[in-house]
This record gives sequence, structure tokens and C-alpha cells, in this order.
Amino acid sequence: MQRDKQWRNLIAVSDLRKNWVTRVDFGNRPLAVYDAPSGVYVSLALCNHGGADLCDGYFDEHLIECPLHQGAFDVRDGRAIDTPATRPMKTFPARIIDGCVQIKI
Amino acid sequence: MYAVRVNCTREIEFHQNCEHKMQAVVTPLTQALSEGNLTREELRELMERSNGPALKWLAAWVAVALTTSSLVVFAWNSWLIWPTMFLHGIVIVHHFSLQHECVHYSVFRTRWLNKLVGTICGYIIVLPNRFFRYEHCDHHTYTQLHGKDPELIPMPKNITEYLLFLSSIPFWYARVNELLRHTLGHLNDQEKRFIPAVEQSSIIREARLMVMFYLAVVLLMYTTGLWAPLWLWIIPLILGEPVMRFIRMTEHVGRPTVAQRQENTRTNLVSWPWRFLCWNMNFHAEHHYASSVPFHALPDLHEKIKKHIYIEPAGYLGAHRDILAQLRKGPSSTYAKG
Repeated sequence: MQRDKQWRNLIAVSDLRKNWVTRVDFGNRPLAVYDAPSGVYVSLALCNHGGADLCDGYFDEHLIECPLHQGAFDVRDGRAIDTPATRPMKTFPARIIDGCVQIKI
Repeated sequence: MYAVRVNCTREIEFHQNCEHKMQAVVTPLTQALSEGNLTREELRELMERSNGPALKWLAAWVAVALTTSSLVVFAWNSWLIWPTMFLHGIVIVHHFSLQHECVHYSVFRTRWLNKLVGTICGYIIVLPNRFFRYEHCDHHTYTQLHGKDPELIPMPKNITEYLLFLSSIPFWYARVNELLRHTLGHLNDQEKRFIPAVEQSSIIREARLMVMFYLAVVLLMYTTGLWAPLWLWIIPLILGEPVMRFIRMTEHVGRPTVAQRQENTRTNLVSWPWRFLCWNMNFHAEHHYASSVPFHALPDLHEKIKKHIYIEPAGYLGAHRDILAQLRKGPSSTYAKG
């Protein structure tokens, strides 16, 4: 039976790298938290093309670029923007409550 | 499910849509960060992109290209046309360096500019940009690994092979063959591995467009009698290509055919005119460490990690002295014997 998804605390907003990407280990899941102009977004940290850590990549507004091949994703919805990434990355609903980033998982 | 191997650090397996099976790949950059060779803040500063430096560099680039092409025109009716075409050809073949930076999206902050400029460069040097991007990604994944790195230049077995490579004859044979093969709709097994199935038709379309463009240029020259593209572009490109082969050899040839970036790539310290022409790509080991760092920041990255990479202080000539010394000692002493 599948459990209902719940909002869970991830990281304090004050601990985020401003206008950049911050890596957070959520259990055994490495996640990438993006401080973007329109809000905070969260995705899996590993690129679904080659497995590199997106948190070592270049972040620009809503675009995260893989450090290995420069494939790129839109952090808002996970869609692949540039090859060699062709599949959307996994993103999680995120919100800020009482100075803490929460994700629904 | 498929297996991916990056930098020999580990074999990993992916389920394409299953997050739980995904495992981290230790890129050179991840390794440098974990070893403290570079901090995340330093990396962030180095990765900052801006259109300004590239536009200035590009303006100077165009000025140089116009100057060398003018020299060809001025030398039109004398024997000097051949040395001037060679000089101009050296500039022409270095469009490869600009295209190379563009496929990493690190020249301009505006991504479509990288695609546009990279595509134009590709048309100048007969290298389809989209295809090159895929091929080059695989080169970064499997650098110097025999049978996997699609851009690997094997260590020559003897001086004849060395000179034949520098002549560019094998290069042009392979390049034209590859373009025509793609135009006919054929991708080989290695290409099918690194080009996703959904992208393969676009690679074929790209090759066909390029061939159509070249046929149109030839037709235009023939019908109008204006043969300037031949003397200002095609012949200089052919004359200059051995220089690019000479430079491309210095990046990896003669270095160990292993996955470790500290070993398999050579940074060549060269004078500023060469650095200008190659868009700082002489800092090749730095580029392989962190390919998201734009060309103008590579000298700064060099200062940060120079103790952790292989550097040839005598530049391109020093690299070739090293390659030739390995050749003289025979295969048992060469790094690239695999």
C-alpha cells in the first residue's frame, strides 16, 4: 500500500546558498535545492543522463547545468532544456514554512 | 537498464526512470572538491558567465580573421598568396577551438548564442555542431580510454604514422567519410551509443543540411565565376589543418591511457597569441577538470589546481618533443600502448 506524501523539513532557508544550488542529503537521497528568482525548487541531485552531481554544476536563474556534459534542466518543472539530457529530472513540490524549506515526499 | 562508466571510478547502473537505483558518479570536479583542491565558493566564482568577455574576444577574433584574409587578397598575384593562405588557414582552423567552447555552452551566458556561433564555426570547418556536441560529451566521459573515447588520437607507432597524422590526410578522409555516412542516414554502433535514439534523426538532418550548403557554395562559385571562397576559405582550411592536428595531439597523445585526469591530459603553457587563437584551450587539463568553467576563467582555475594536473611548461613544442622521445624509446616506454 502506498503511503500518502507528506511535507517534510529539508533545510533552513538561511542555510541555502543565495541564488545558487545547495546539496542536501535527505536520508539516503541526495537532493539539490535551488534558490531561484521565483522561489525555492528541489530535485534529485544526480543528473539522469550521466549521474554527475548537479550541485557541482552551473546555476543561472531557473537553469541547472550538469557539470559533466552541460546538459541542462529547468528547475521549476524538471524539463530537459539542452542535450545530452533528454528526459525530465525528478522534482519535488517545495514550500517555505517558518524559515524552513519543506518538500512533499 | 544500462551501465555507465565514468572516469574509471566505478561502474554504475541506472534504471532510466527509477531514482532509487541511481548512484553518484565521481567526476574530476567532485573529486577536486572533496580533496579540497577547490572550494565550492571558488568554483562558483569561476563558473560565473557573462557575454562581455566572449563578445570582446570575438570582436578581436573577427578583426584578426579579416586582417589575414586581407593579406591573402593583397598577395593575390604573387607567390606570397601561399604563405598568406597558410597564415589565414591557421586562424580558420582555430574555429574549432571556439566551436569546442560553444558545445560546452561556456562562451556566452546566453545559451542560444553558443548554439548559433558553434553552428557557424562548424560550417566553416566541416564539423556538424550537434553531432560534435554528442561526440565530445562522450570524450569527456571516457577520456583516453581505448575503444570508448570517440575522439582518442592513438599514440603513433612510428615516425611515419606521426607524420601521416600531421599531414591531415587521415583526418580529412575520416571527416568526409563521417559526414557522407550521416548524410546517407547511417550511424555506426559507437555513435548509436552516445546519441540518444530520439536525437539520431536530427543528426542525419544536420549532416544533410551541411552537405546541401557546401553543394550550394560550389554551385554558386561555378555559376558566378566568383572563386573567392576557394582561396579565402577552403584552401586555407586545408593548408592550416596540419597546425590544428599538431595542436590537438598535444592535449592527450603521449599521456597515459587511463581514466585519471591528473594523468591523461596535458596542459600546455603557450604564448598569448596561441592562447588567443585557441580560446585558452591550452589549459586543457583544467578544462577536463571543470568543463563548466568558461574559457576566460581557465587561467584562474589553472592557478588553483596547477599542483594537481600535468603541465608541459614548454608548450606545444615541448609536448611534441615528449611524444617523439616516447616514439624513439619504442612501444614499451610509451604511455599510450593499450
